Amino acid sequence: MSWLSETFRLTTTKGQSTTVGDLTVTPEARAFVVRLPFVGFVWNWPGAVRVERGDQVERLRIVDVSRIVQLGLLAATLFLVLFGRARDARRKGKRDD
Amino acid sequence: MTENLPTFVERNTTQLSQLLDKILAAARPGAVFSEPVHSGDYTVITASEVTAGGGFGSGFGSGPAPAGSATGTGESGSASATQPSEAGGGGFGGGGGSHGRPVAVIVIGPDGVRVRPVVDVTKIGLAAVTTWLAMFMMFRRLRRLRRGRRRPMQG
Repeated sequence: MSWLSETFRLTTTKGQSTTVGDLTVTPEARAFVVRLPFVGFVWNWPGAVRVERGDQVERLRIVDVSRIVQLGLLAATLFLVLFGRARDARRKGKRDD
Repeated sequence: MTENLPTFVERNTTQLSQLLDKILAAARPGAVFSEPVHSGDYTVITASEVTAGGGFGSGFGSGPAPAGSATGTGESGSASATQPSEAGGGGFGGGGGSHGRPVAVIVIGPDGVRVRPVVDVTKIGLAAVTTWLAMFMMFRRLRRLRRGRRRPMQG
């Protein structure tokens, strides 16, 4: 199990805080790291921004709009292809009867 | 040469492993968030997605030296005394790459903090074209099937 956790890691790291006026902004990044003896891969993306104003702490999520739209279109394509195949198979089955 | 080959491979493997660790150093917030840029009342930080990867491989082998190899063959023809009993060779190869894409812009202004998404129109456009093509092909196929079903009934 430790081998698995060493090979695949999902981490959240905090970046350098920026203070503007009474606001302190701390960005948070998420990383997915795959480390094998001869192969390595890292996917690092922004997760959220932590905004501190006095005692108030707000966490703003960073949404990757391009990725969401892309995945949505991919899901739509897959759905259409599978739907078409299922319909084809049903029609062929009816014709054979 | 054959005796030194494993050491040579081990040394290079360690060096390549260190190089891979450097590539994987992209997993730090500094690679994702840019330095804050101040302009008037506004401060802007760019948030990007960073992907990096790499791999390497090495191999070596050894075997008995081919008979009659000319190495060390003297005038007298007594080659066996100086001819190496083993021969070997090895090689290394590797590659890597990284990719970055802006995801959002964090704007700190007088009205607070705002996270504005960066929309990659090219990426979305390509995905939309692929979806449209899949839809077009599926509907054409369905229409063809429908026609094929109707024709025998009409005749």
